[in-house]
Amino acid sequence: MYISKLSLRNYRNFLNAKLCFNEGINTIVGENGSGKTNVFRAIRLLLDDNLLRYSYKLDENDFNRGLLDWRGHWIIISLEFSDISEHEEIQALFLHGLAAQEEDSVRVATYNLIFRPSIEIRSKLSSLKRGDKPGLLSILEDITIDDYETLFTGKSEADFNDDKTYKSIVGDFETVDFPEEIDNRAVGLKIPHQLSISKEISFTFTKALRDVVTDFQNNRTNPLLRLLKSKSDEVDPKKLSPIVEMVVDLNQSIEELEDVQSVRNDIRSTIKDTVGETYSPKSISIRSGLSSEADELFQSLKLFIGESGDDYEGAIHELSLGGANLIYLTLKLLEFKYIKARNSIANFLLIEEPEAHIHTHIQKTLFEKIDYGDTQIIYSTHSTHISEVSNISSVNVLGREKNVCTAFSPSNGLAPIEIRNLQRYLDAVRSTLLFAKSVLLVEGDAEEILIPVLVKTIIGVSLDELGISLINIRSTGFENVARIFHSERVRKKCTIITDLDSSPIDTNPSIEDGDALSKKKARFLRSQEKGQERRQRLEDFAKGNPWVDIELAKHTFEIDFIISGNAYEVIETLPDIYTDKATIERVKDELNSGDISIIGPRVLTMANNKGKGWFAISLSEHVTQDTYLPNYIASAIFNTSPELSRAVITDICSYRTSFFEVNSSTDECRRVIDLFLNEKVDLDYLKKTISEELEDDHFNEILSFINI
Amino acid sequence: MRPWKEGDLNPSQERAVLNAGSSFVIACPGSGKTRTLTYKIIDALAKIDSHRKFIIAITYTNRAADEICDRIEALGIDTSQLWIGTIHSFCLEWILKPYAIYIDELKYGYRVINSHDSEKILTEICGNFKSPNISYWDCGYHFNKTGYVLHTNHGHKVAPVKEALESYFSLLRDRNQIDFELILYYAYHILNKNTATTRILASMIPLFLVDEYQDTKEIQYEILALIMKARPHDVNAFFVGDPNQAIYQSLGGFAMEPRAFASLSCVKFDQFELELNYRSSSKIIDYFSRFSVTKSKITSASEHRDYPSVISFNTDISKDLLEEEIVRAIQVNIEKHSIDPSEICILAPWWVQLASMTRRLVARLPQYPFDGPGTIPFARDPDNFWYKVSKIVLTEPSPKLYIRRVRWANDVINDLECAGILFKDIDAKRFLRISNSIELSESNGLTFLEKYFDRLFCILGLRISESEFLSEHYQSFFDSSRERIERLKREGLDFIDDTDNFKNVFKPRSGITVSSIHGIKGAEFDAVIAYALLEDMVPHFSDSNGQENANRMLYVIGSRARKNLFLFSETGRVNGFGKEYIPTRQLERHSYQYDTY
Repeated sequence: MYISKLSLRNYRNFLNAKLCFNEGINTIVGENGSGKTNVFRAIRLLLDDNLLRYSYKLDENDFNRGLLDWRGHWIIISLEFSDISEHEEIQALFLHGLAAQEEDSVRVATYNLIFRPSIEIRSKLSSLKRGDKPGLLSILEDITIDDYETLFTGKSEADFNDDKTYKSIVGDFETVDFPEEIDNRAVGLKIPHQLSISKEISFTFTKALRDVVTDFQNNRTNPLLRLLKSKSDEVDPKKLSPIVEMVVDLNQSIEELEDVQSVRNDIRSTIKDTVGETYSPKSISIRSGLSSEADELFQSLKLFIGESGDDYEGAIHELSLGGANLIYLTLKLLEFKYIKARNSIANFLLIEEPEAHIHTHIQKTLFEKIDYGDTQIIYSTHSTHISEVSNISSVNVLGREKNVCTAFSPSNGLAPIEIRNLQRYLDAVRSTLLFAKSVLLVEGDAEEILIPVLVKTIIGVSLDELGISLINIRSTGFENVARIFHSERVRKKCTIITDLDSSPIDTNPSIEDGDALSKKKARFLRSQEKGQERRQRLEDFAKGNPWVDIELAKHTFEIDFIISGNAYEVIETLPDIYTDKATIERVKDELNSGDISIIGPRVLTMANNKGKGWFAISLSEHVTQDTYLPNYIASAIFNTSPELSRAVITDICSYRTSFFEVNSSTDECRRVIDLFLNEKVDLDYLKKTISEELEDDHFNEILSFINI
Repeated sequence: MRPWKEGDLNPSQERAVLNAGSSFVIACPGSGKTRTLTYKIIDALAKIDSHRKFIIAITYTNRAADEICDRIEALGIDTSQLWIGTIHSFCLEWILKPYAIYIDELKYGYRVINSHDSEKILTEICGNFKSPNISYWDCGYHFNKTGYVLHTNHGHKVAPVKEALESYFSLLRDRNQIDFELILYYAYHILNKNTATTRILASMIPLFLVDEYQDTKEIQYEILALIMKARPHDVNAFFVGDPNQAIYQSLGGFAMEPRAFASLSCVKFDQFELELNYRSSSKIIDYFSRFSVTKSKITSASEHRDYPSVISFNTDISKDLLEEEIVRAIQVNIEKHSIDPSEICILAPWWVQLASMTRRLVARLPQYPFDGPGTIPFARDPDNFWYKVSKIVLTEPSPKLYIRRVRWANDVINDLECAGILFKDIDAKRFLRISNSIELSESNGLTFLEKYFDRLFCILGLRISESEFLSEHYQSFFDSSRERIERLKREGLDFIDDTDNFKNVFKPRSGITVSSIHGIKGAEFDAVIAYALLEDMVPHFSDSNGQENANRMLYVIGSRARKNLFLFSETGRVNGFGKEYIPTRQLERHSYQYDTY
């Protein structure tokens, strides 16, 4: 049995989030503040016996701030368990309380925490006439957190993440439409009193900044003692009795030591001297307290570990923090193995940011090799290294969507073969992709090298500042990766930039064509046809997906770059490519010819000659603010960027304005830019002002792509 | 190790208790049936090896459940893994509550109505039927696994009664209500439809105990069998009862043959017999044994074994002099035989005869208190929430009743929680403390309860009117109580609505008991006085298996007595057609040397 789904509604920084989990090891990836701790807290509210009772009483701070007014709303935390069977006797009580079933078998079990207004408030809301806004407000006004109740239910099959379902249970605050039914069974049935979840499963939560040494010192939390305790009940009395005898002897020998006796005598005489015989205790002795009981004897056992190769074994507090944590986790896992023998249905281990203390490659091995049946591990991380080991289908990405935290399952709904392909691509670029706010996918090194330079130099803002990660797929197999950007998976913008490969020369064969030209035409034609196919394929792929866009270079990146008005930059690279002066002059003329059938083949020859990557590096050294940004790239950037705020646009405009001599026009521009930043004028007004005041064709063209 | 002392059980009781498999235990009257059951529960609780298992004990009445629970808790045994109650409560708690969502008719919620509610509904429906006229009383029915079975044996009424019941069922469906019979019907269908449910329940229940199995209906056997069949090697059953006392046959109850139940449940059964009677004198045993339908050997092990019992049978007395004769019989027992009034019981087949008799006896013998069915002034509906509260309200706190009152309070709190009513930090003890702190002086019983409930719920911070559950039960409790009081007052019991009278209901038996034959199940008395033993009453005229059932009723009457037994088949009673009743045939069939007194 394992947790297959967690649904959160209005809890802390989640307005509505769904996380899916698999058997075994699961990863929750997210930057700081994306809600990893709150996800864990939600699970703990349902499963962790160590969480204090008063935590179940949630308060107004537990409501998501996105609600604006929490009053009347519900917090729902719902766990779904899969791989359950009514044939397994041990699960019966659990299923009796939690399982939803179909005809002849059980399907899933759900366990839900519902924090909702009391029946009194609910019946008031329910009796509201549809659309009665003032009535609603007067009820909501009086609600305090004391009017809320916490309810634990099972057997619910409702999809709490679905807005329609939520409204049908809780009500619609916009249209003032509240359900007639005050006790909707969709929330599930109250847990029968015979069932206590914490008795059915074992659950351990490991904090991020755990002070493992303290835990080892505390008898209650020392994982070694817990292991020994479970064994001490089984010790064979025959084997124990000679040890007990030795303990008794040992105690006696210590007590009889001369020095011990003399201390005793000194105490006794000192007391007598101070308070006199009458008030002195009648007898005093010093006893050695080594217990002869098995469990107490076991408590005196301590773990010593040799960390380095020098044969020295140290106590836990001498270990490195990482070493201690590793030992701690290992003992916890062993405890599960022992508990399993003691009849718990399933084991859950939640680890918060293991990278805090354990070296990533140890973690890697630790998590790769763990294989205790019925043990599910969920760990959160912001380390890019650790996320490499885990299977993409066991990853949940926490991120922001329109300023609200939410969870993405990158592989939700994908076929196994699609997941395999994705996984292969992700091994190299995963981390960037999973942490990205938006993504540009490009096909080769040239784009990877040149686009960031172009953007930074031409508009003065880096891709990072625009919230864009540029990822080089190194082929045209974009779909394998782009697939994760989808309404059901990662809801972030992804733009694919690729070449249409239209031929720069006329490919119609002519009888006058020589052998070489025929071949050249054939080659361009083949590329062109492939380009058309690719476009068709990608357009079909992106159709109906609001998260994926495609931007095409009409020919190829290099050709489109130069024909955008950048002959100068290319000419500047000639000395890097050709040494012969005459050749350089000839090529220069070709590049300045303005004839694409000449420029195109030439620039391609140059790129191929030097290697596309090196050519791009050369080009990047000659990029200036006067370089033109090809339109398809500008379009891709501004359509993809999630951070295109007034502040960013202001930065871009100020940057461009700074290249002009200060005069009344630039003053006017600066004034309007300032007004725009303070939301006094709109974007159209800003665009109009700049196009009138500054004669900067580049920039006006770029501006036309900017929209909020 | 046995969790009981040497001598607590006799050898046959012990054999039955220690049997590891499933058992049918045929227990003759007074053979320590409840004791055997109690120790079987204790033994089973001791053998439980997992917190996930529960022992289920099914009793015929809530009173019996209370009694068994008291005994076990008094021994200091943890009962958290024991569930005990009637078959209806079992079906509600373990089947309907968790699994009703899988039945279309119930998935949007349901409410259980009591017999008063269903009488009201059926009476209204019956009003629409003319020639033949039918009444609520014609509409008795129960379910078996294929459908409902009518109790009426008037051929010409079958069709209209069927029609009436159909509209009754569809009305209940529309209102999301179910009655007691429908609880069983739906429980059976849930189990029959969802085999996963039976597997889950079978995994949790290692042992079912069934008390008074002879009164179990077919569908109840089927419900248990469906669960047992899911894991026939893991679930055991322990049936205790006496086929000779199966007097609920007209309602569908019968003692299933062990072999028949074994094939139904796929579980093998061992049979045991408890033949030592610890109750009655040899003479009494010899007498009631004559009426046994199933042969069984009974030996007296009673301290009254050699008591010179008086067994009399009077067929000459006229109905007008009967009261005088019963007064004489009571006085003979009390004065001549030194029997305490609380050890005397007066029985008659029908409730109507008892009401007027009680009234007249109360007037004739003012020196003795009476406890009778006619004198319970409010609706006795054990599943009604307010009935449960009134049990606490109407009993005085005392060490003797403490465990029981805590249990009642837990029931009340549990109901409130299940109804989804916000309940902050209230436990049973606090609930009792609050209840005990309320002081009220009010002489009218119903007004007393109304005021008490209001005060109690005010302190608890709950408003009755705001919960559908509380107000529906409230309405039902007070409506049926008012109706009952009016009926009793019409019959002349003027002071029935006194608060003191209300409080008497839950006091331990102190006076002469007056009861119907069916209501006396399980009880015992030094002296039993039974009258109206007339053919067509014993057995009931509508009983198609009358002669056999007459024997069973006589067997039950006779076996209640420890010492003396007084039987009357009075003359002069006429039926609706003016025809005089004759003495019960089965009584006259036996020639017996009756005593005079």
